[in-house]
Amino acid sequence: MVTKLELALRGLLAALMGTLVLAVSWQVISRYALSAPSVWTEELARFLLIWIGVLGASYAYRARVHLAIDLLPRKLGGRRGAGLEAVNASLVGVFAAAVMMFGGGRLVMITWQLNQISPALGLPMAVVYSVVPLSGALLLLFACLRFVAERAIALDSTGEAPR
Amino acid sequence: MTELILIIAFFVMLVMGVPVAFCIGLATMLALLTSIDPMPALTTIAQRMAGGINSFALLAIPLFIFSGNLMSSGGIAQRLINFARSFMCALPGGLALVNVISCVLFGAISGSAIAATSAVGGVMVPAMEEDNYDRGFSAAVTATAATTGLLIPPSNILIVYAVSSGGVSIAALFVGGYLPGMLVALCLMAVCAVHAKQNGLHGTGQVSAVAVWRAFLQAAPSLLLIVIVIGGIIGGVFTATEAGAIAVIYALALSMFVYREITVAQLPDILVKATETTAIVMLLVGTSIAMSWLLAFENVPVTVAEALLSVSDNPLILLLLINLALLVVGSFMDMTPAVLIFTPIFLPVAVQLGMSPLHFGIMMVLNLSIGLCTPPVGSVLFVSCAVAKTSIEKMIKPLMPMYAAMIVALALVTYVPAFSEALPRFFGLYE
Repeated sequence: MVTKLELALRGLLAALMGTLVLAVSWQVISRYALSAPSVWTEELARFLLIWIGVLGASYAYRARVHLAIDLLPRKLGGRRGAGLEAVNASLVGVFAAAVMMFGGGRLVMITWQLNQISPALGLPMAVVYSVVPLSGALLLLFACLRFVAERAIALDSTGEAPR
Repeated sequence: MTELILIIAFFVMLVMGVPVAFCIGLATMLALLTSIDPMPALTTIAQRMAGGINSFALLAIPLFIFSGNLMSSGGIAQRLINFARSFMCALPGGLALVNVISCVLFGAISGSAIAATSAVGGVMVPAMEEDNYDRGFSAAVTATAATTGLLIPPSNILIVYAVSSGGVSIAALFVGGYLPGMLVALCLMAVCAVHAKQNGLHGTGQVSAVAVWRAFLQAAPSLLLIVIVIGGIIGGVFTATEAGAIAVIYALALSMFVYREITVAQLPDILVKATETTAIVMLLVGTSIAMSWLLAFENVPVTVAEALLSVSDNPLILLLLINLALLVVGSFMDMTPAVLIFTPIFLPVAVQLGMSPLHFGIMMVLNLSIGLCTPPVGSVLFVSCAVAKTSIEKMIKPLMPMYAAMIVALALVTYVPAFSEALPRFFGLYE
């Protein structure tokens, strides 16, 4: 289930990135080859970047590629290191819930109520910003899974837990 | 009080091993919660994060990351190295010099020091080992030389600076980075030459005009990318972001149809890899912009400026202080957040001292690139260490003279504005 979600996320991100490259390329081509500068590509590309950045952030957490100093958890090693990683995962979960889901959710609500529309594409900004609570929910899920996994290692009474 | 919570929360979580971007975001959240109500506080952070990424200039970053990934897996690095090798190999310490020049060349076609480290280091460290170079030394050369790519355009970090300084031209920054980048490379090559002399590392092989020409022809399509991208930006044909798209298309065509080292089946993986790296950078950008907003909200830039100007009114001393502070920041913080958070704090002071924002940006990036090669937070250092399969301990001793070389370059760039400003002025991109 989670693996399927990850694969879907991966595919979506690759598609967004591919579209971004095409959009900016089209902007150059339309200006020089067709001498009819396109007005919507810039806006589309900027919104794609928000989606890639924010949605990719939760994917990158799952893939464990975010930059971190793991000196202390590694030094502690074994159960104590896993215990610390469980605490870290819960901190990431707090950020996901408080800032991204709650703060981001309110941001979506406010921009929806104010009826903010993007100038070129006519897209409601609430749709663009909806990626923040969406990615927050995914991040919270991934953080919970990480917490459960690390906690299991930390509480493993057989001692020499594999890491 | 708010500032204190910010700093303590950041450092405690950093040491605990919380990913850096979340350390920044959580510290900002905690600090802002002590100062305003929870509802607006959380919404503001979310808004700054998403809004901060919403910039056309930043769009260049995923494009240069993608083209950089294509180039490191598409055999382009190997050809640049062969070219550098063809004319440098006979000198004493030849391979170390080849390593530096390859990093400069790779930096000139890609925007990231990490890409240069893994692409060049992966080839050069084993080659240097065959020639009796110590692995720690080879890794140290790769790490420090790869940082020249941050100054030599295209450079993602200079784009971040352009956004954060609010209006320095990316074209001017790009062109301004050439001389300082090459200055760092020259200083590093001097260290390599001395090391080679002390350790009796002679050059190997002979330079022949035919071999140089042949290697040049092989590398020429890669080098042409520099002409197209930078030429296009200088000539005002396209923006840095559009140049990024051109670089992607060119690198794609080159590695798929000319060098034939990437197949269609490999593309999705390269795309996902680029997306991952982009997301890492963009989360850092988003949370750093939120933290930077909080600092401005708390009037920190004004406080720091007043404190600095009360210490001395001598520009030489103040620039020294700013540089020392940035060296400390750079060793604890990754470059993207450091630029986004400290530009609004130090740039106004520098401008008051008569420094141009262009010159300050180049100085700041050069300064922080030293921090990328120092523990405890040094992404380039760790990548280089992993690529060379050595340990940080073995890299530290050979790194010492290289730090010194970089600091010499930093001093020259800080106190001689011409290094940063002469070229942009020559091309009419500045003032």
